[in-house]
Amino acid sequence: MWDILETEDSVQPRTVVAAIALLAVALVAQVSIVARMGLPGGRLDLVLVLLAAISLIEGPLVGAISGFVVGVLADLASSHVLGQSALIMCLIGYAVGLVMDAAQRSVAVPVAMIGGASLLGTLGYAAITSILGEAAMTGGEAVGHAFAAGVYAVLLTPFVFPPLLIASRRLAGGRARGGR
Amino acid sequence: MGRDTRRSRLVIVALLIVAFTLITLDYKTGRSATGARGVVHSALGGIEDGVTAVTRPIGRTASSLTHPNRYHNRADRLAQDNARLRRQIADDGQVTRMSKELSDLRLVADKGQYTIVPAKVIAVGDVTGTDWTVTINAGRDDGVVVDKTVLNADGLVGTVSSVTAHTAVVRLACDPGSRIGARLERTQLLGAVAGGQGPSTLTFTLYDASFRVQKGDRLVTFGSLDYVAGVPIGEITKVTDVGGLSRTAEVRPYAHVGTLDLVGVVVSKPPTDPGDRLLTPRPVPQPAPAATPAPALTPAVGTASAPASQNPAASPAVGAGPGGTG
Repeated sequence: MWDILETEDSVQPRTVVAAIALLAVALVAQVSIVARMGLPGGRLDLVLVLLAAISLIEGPLVGAISGFVVGVLADLASSHVLGQSALIMCLIGYAVGLVMDAAQRSVAVPVAMIGGASLLGTLGYAAITSILGEAAMTGGEAVGHAFAAGVYAVLLTPFVFPPLLIASRRLAGGRARGGR
Repeated sequence: MGRDTRRSRLVIVALLIVAFTLITLDYKTGRSATGARGVVHSALGGIEDGVTAVTRPIGRTASSLTHPNRYHNRADRLAQDNARLRRQIADDGQVTRMSKELSDLRLVADKGQYTIVPAKVIAVGDVTGTDWTVTINAGRDDGVVVDKTVLNADGLVGTVSSVTAHTAVVRLACDPGSRIGARLERTQLLGAVAGGQGPSTLTFTLYDASFRVQKGDRLVTFGSLDYVAGVPIGEITKVTDVGGLSRTAEVRPYAHVGTLDLVGVVVSKPPTDPGDRLLTPRPVPQPAPAATPAPALTPAVGTASAPASQNPAASPAVGAGPGGTG
């Protein structure tokens, strides 16, 4: 479906801007709403779920760029070392984007990828925080949190992925695109 | 928009290099992006404040709006009335709860003669979930200054770590970098309470190995130039280490991180050290298990020897401070 565009540089600025705007909204929703819900076992990571979904739909380049920008924003809004969540989000966006083809073949792929991205991302946050000096949680806790984040992400995927797919098609406007 | 083209690889490598550069710079210098952080904090803080104000009543009344109405003409109006009334009830409940929390907080502040600025928690932690901080909706314009003590009706919450005009970030007592001078109830024995063990456990280190810390002992803050004395911290649940030059114990904090809502920033110290007044009285009075004779609780002791002893931001200062006291 993207093959006709493969040769030219076609990351549309408005796609990237829309992705970043959506993730920035998720950023606020995460700390002000989701973090206060007190979900058992861990926390839902809204930003990672949306980032993984965007990467699956738009590809590694959009995923990596929007992940990086939102990661820097998240770092600036926090009190930890600048750049650490930018690094994780950038890698997650890129890695998930690599399997965008498979995501169009089966429904199971997005579910598994978004769950996996949340799991790995949460582990990554814990790892990089402890590497940079101030371990926020013990290893066991981190693994538990990561699995909880993965499960919540899987549960949320059916409500997030299809709307994003539709929105992405709308955003692309009149461009002819194949089905999923 | 390729999948894994040369170009996308170039971009990701460039982004990774930038990320590592940022990490290195910020890790080495510490405060490389204070200005940018301040801008983002105040911008996001305003949004978070609005979001919190809007979403809470909605969350409580959402259930009342999903009522199915099949009889459109008349039932529609009745359903609307119903929803409006339910919303009103929910709002009333919210107001009642808020006023109870506020009066509880007021009571604690009066007991300790603290001057407090009440504030609401508008964001918890950060996106990654690795920061033990909360953002509150009071800032520099309300008189909040960095390093002030933050408490709620249950006890100590943390200390202010940064402020913008209308918001402030509070470093919770359970943050790994947090270190707060603590005093054992009924004694003048000094120690420090540190985080890093998750949200419901603090680590207390007593700087006097000869004293036997016991399960059930309670802790209050020690107080210094910025921090107020006498704020209840928690109760010792387990004595972990009895070797070395100090003793450590696990402490269960009184304030629960998960349910933080209304907090107060202590902006001005009381004229006298409130001592143990803020702790809830024990049902059965038991003698203080003091091995060393505990001097009377004079305000002078609480404030005079404290300045070096209590600095949650810089841990070495704590180790150095109470050496003479213990």
